[in-house]
Amino acid sequence: MTTDRVTGRGIFDPELLDRCISCGFCLPACPTYAQTLDEGSSPRGRINLMRALETGELDDDDSRLREEASFCLGCRACEPVCPAGVQYGQLLETWRDHQWSGRRRPPLAQLLMLVASRTPLLRAIGVVRRHARTPSVPAAPTTLMLGCFERGLYPGVSRSARALLPDIAVPADQGCCGALHAHNGESERGVELARRLGEQLPGVIVTTAGGCAAHLTTVLGRDRVHELSEHLVKTGASPVGRLSVGGRRARVALQDSCHLRNGMGVFAEPRALISAVADLVAVPGEASCCGAAGTYSLLRPRDSRRILDPKLDAIEAADLDYVVAVNPGCLRQLETGLRRRSSKVRAVHLADLLAAAAGGTPLPRGRRWTLPRIRVPARRAGAARITGGPTA
Amino acid sequence: MSLDRDVVGELETIVGADHVRTGRGDLEPYARDATPLFRGVPDAVVSPRTAEEVAAVLRLATRTGIPVIPRGAGSNLSAGTLADRGGIVLVLTRMDRILEISPDELLARVEAGVTTAALGEAAAAKGLLYAPDPGSRTVSTVGGNVATCAGGLRGLKYGVTRNYVLGTTAVLPTGEIIRTGGRLWKDVAGYDLTRLLTGSEGTLGVLTEITVALLPMPATTNTGVAYFPTLADAGRAVTAVIGDGIVPATLEFLDAKCIGAVEEYANLGLRLDAGALLLFGDDGAADAVERNLTRIGELCTAHRAMEVTLAADVARSDALLAARRCSLPALSRLGTLTILEDATVPRPRLAEMVGRIDEIAERYDVPIATFGHAGDGNLHPTCVVDRQDDAAIERAHKAFGDVFAAAIGMDGTITGEHGVGAAKLPYLEARLGADQMALLRRIKAAFDPAGILNPGKLGS
Repeated sequence: MTTDRVTGRGIFDPELLDRCISCGFCLPACPTYAQTLDEGSSPRGRINLMRALETGELDDDDSRLREEASFCLGCRACEPVCPAGVQYGQLLETWRDHQWSGRRRPPLAQLLMLVASRTPLLRAIGVVRRHARTPSVPAAPTTLMLGCFERGLYPGVSRSARALLPDIAVPADQGCCGALHAHNGESERGVELARRLGEQLPGVIVTTAGGCAAHLTTVLGRDRVHELSEHLVKTGASPVGRLSVGGRRARVALQDSCHLRNGMGVFAEPRALISAVADLVAVPGEASCCGAAGTYSLLRPRDSRRILDPKLDAIEAADLDYVVAVNPGCLRQLETGLRRRSSKVRAVHLADLLAAAAGGTPLPRGRRWTLPRIRVPARRAGAARITGGPTA
Repeated sequence: MSLDRDVVGELETIVGADHVRTGRGDLEPYARDATPLFRGVPDAVVSPRTAEEVAAVLRLATRTGIPVIPRGAGSNLSAGTLADRGGIVLVLTRMDRILEISPDELLARVEAGVTTAALGEAAAAKGLLYAPDPGSRTVSTVGGNVATCAGGLRGLKYGVTRNYVLGTTAVLPTGEIIRTGGRLWKDVAGYDLTRLLTGSEGTLGVLTEITVALLPMPATTNTGVAYFPTLADAGRAVTAVIGDGIVPATLEFLDAKCIGAVEEYANLGLRLDAGALLLFGDDGAADAVERNLTRIGELCTAHRAMEVTLAADVARSDALLAARRCSLPALSRLGTLTILEDATVPRPRLAEMVGRIDEIAERYDVPIATFGHAGDGNLHPTCVVDRQDDAAIERAHKAFGDVFAAAIGMDGTITGEHGVGAAKLPYLEARLGADQMALLRRIKAAFDPAGILNPGKLGS
């Protein structure tokens, strides 16, 4: 019998690595495996790479090892389909901590983390962008989290959330939750920032970002963190009004937030809320990653677009008015992709959609400033494209 | 050992440089399949797109004596795709086209890398059923299913993969591309090479295209569940059901240890005072399904069932099946090493066999829970231990040696559906005897004179 023990350098918790039974049930769930059909780009294959890193069979500089630590979206779609309960997200964080330590970390990720760690800077951006704000309430039962980049990119989302939850406290003095750090090779810093945010925001923290919710939950516990849709459903708030387009109910689809769905099991809630104010349309692939994946769309723009393109095809083919995101990264990704195609479909945050339905007000226009566009060569020849979305 | 640079160059010429990988980190993910404790790093991973490319790779391998290990999704539990002698892992997942679904002829033609689930969905879209449903159907490939003659939950009523393979295109290790069988239900021209290749575990040829039989999709399916004080009672109920002329589509059982683990894991509200849980289901015309399930319920009650529930609707039916679906996840969480076996005995001896497994587990002091297919006697004794505990792993292996011997002693077999691979080759002679082992080797040599195709497995 061949011995196959995974013990060695102490990079990983052996218990977490051993949990994988290599059954391969994760393969069909993995967006990057679908791209390459190469085992190395699948969760099972990556766990085998981690095992080889742990045992020393592969050294830190192995090119494939480094490539896969970065190519993985970190969407965790492999977790709900895993019969053995492998905590892949946790393994990936540990892997990136090791693989991206020191100078190996992508400089852009380093820069973003640096910005997100500076609470006064976030605060200043937030003030300029006029996010929702209430005086600091030390004993508030629920507080709204503003996010680091969300308050700058989409300040209207916090205003909409406040309109839906008039009693919620929104102190301006709050930092980043640390999800960014946890996913980019600084998991200790990620935990530290989450703890600090937990001190800044007492009581239940309501967040409009699925990715932040999942990260905060791992540090502060499930009871302290509610994603917005979850909070609305849990507190029995029923959405009011309806959203019309040209005299009929709006046709709306949801793009799941991967970490909200796969990490927290929240996916029915946003759908229930949308159905209450509009026609909820199911779009193929709506539960799989849009390619935003935190910093991924910036670090690996070409791969990010390969993931996004078939999704945009499906969105355009479904004759939608709006596609709803429950995470700012997904919102930016969809917005940018749809704009690039001059699509008639608009990407909106769930908070904005619900607030617009309740207030009978039009949905806010997209953000007025954009991040610099990174030029990406056209798609690979041969990739199927469903046409049908009207182009302006 | 690594491949000669000229060989790598030739491989790149055959399939394209993008589809030959030789980096240390590229090879590592192909060092394992789904079989615990087996690891063997290949020298190259090659992904062909056509039968002609496969043929060229095999000719090169025969000429140079390099082992070739065909691989689909790598979900097998027998170390059947283990590259323990190095060589080329030939991955067929790029050959993933569904070529034809014919409602008129009730057949489908697919490339070997199509997943079982994709074939099932394509058939269902035309109102047809591909009956074999191995547990790994979402990931496993049709080529892998045929190569291992995969089973599944519907074995009693519908049979297994071999009952559905009408024809294959296979590449011989010496490079010839042969087509066996075809689109015919009746065809006795020559030895039945289709059946020989089915279950040959990638040791005789590389399957590149398969023609399978389809069935009309049954109108309805429904499910029921019964609890029994002992597994022996459940076994007698199963015998009574079949004696009554009913052949249910589903007849699955969980033993008491399995019920406990599933309840602990999923909180389904299962009865923990029961010695066995029997899931039964049928499909077909609505009135026939209802009649059969009612009758099965009556027979269970007549055989000391403590409680019988028939699903009221599809959602409830799914909830009942959850207990069976949860078995492996629930058991695998009890430790870090899960050894899932598939000893099989004639149906009437199922309860006796589970009793023997319990004795053996106690003797070797390893936890073994058993679930499986009561309809066809196919058991899944599952041992869960700590991966770091060498002594427990050693005891588990000894225990399974005794389990296989016990199965053979009951006119059973060492593997019902997982295959022999490298994992069970040491036990094969006990099942087949020396004469058949020698015949297997002669057959292997006739197909593969250089012995390059999946060495160390069947026929070795």
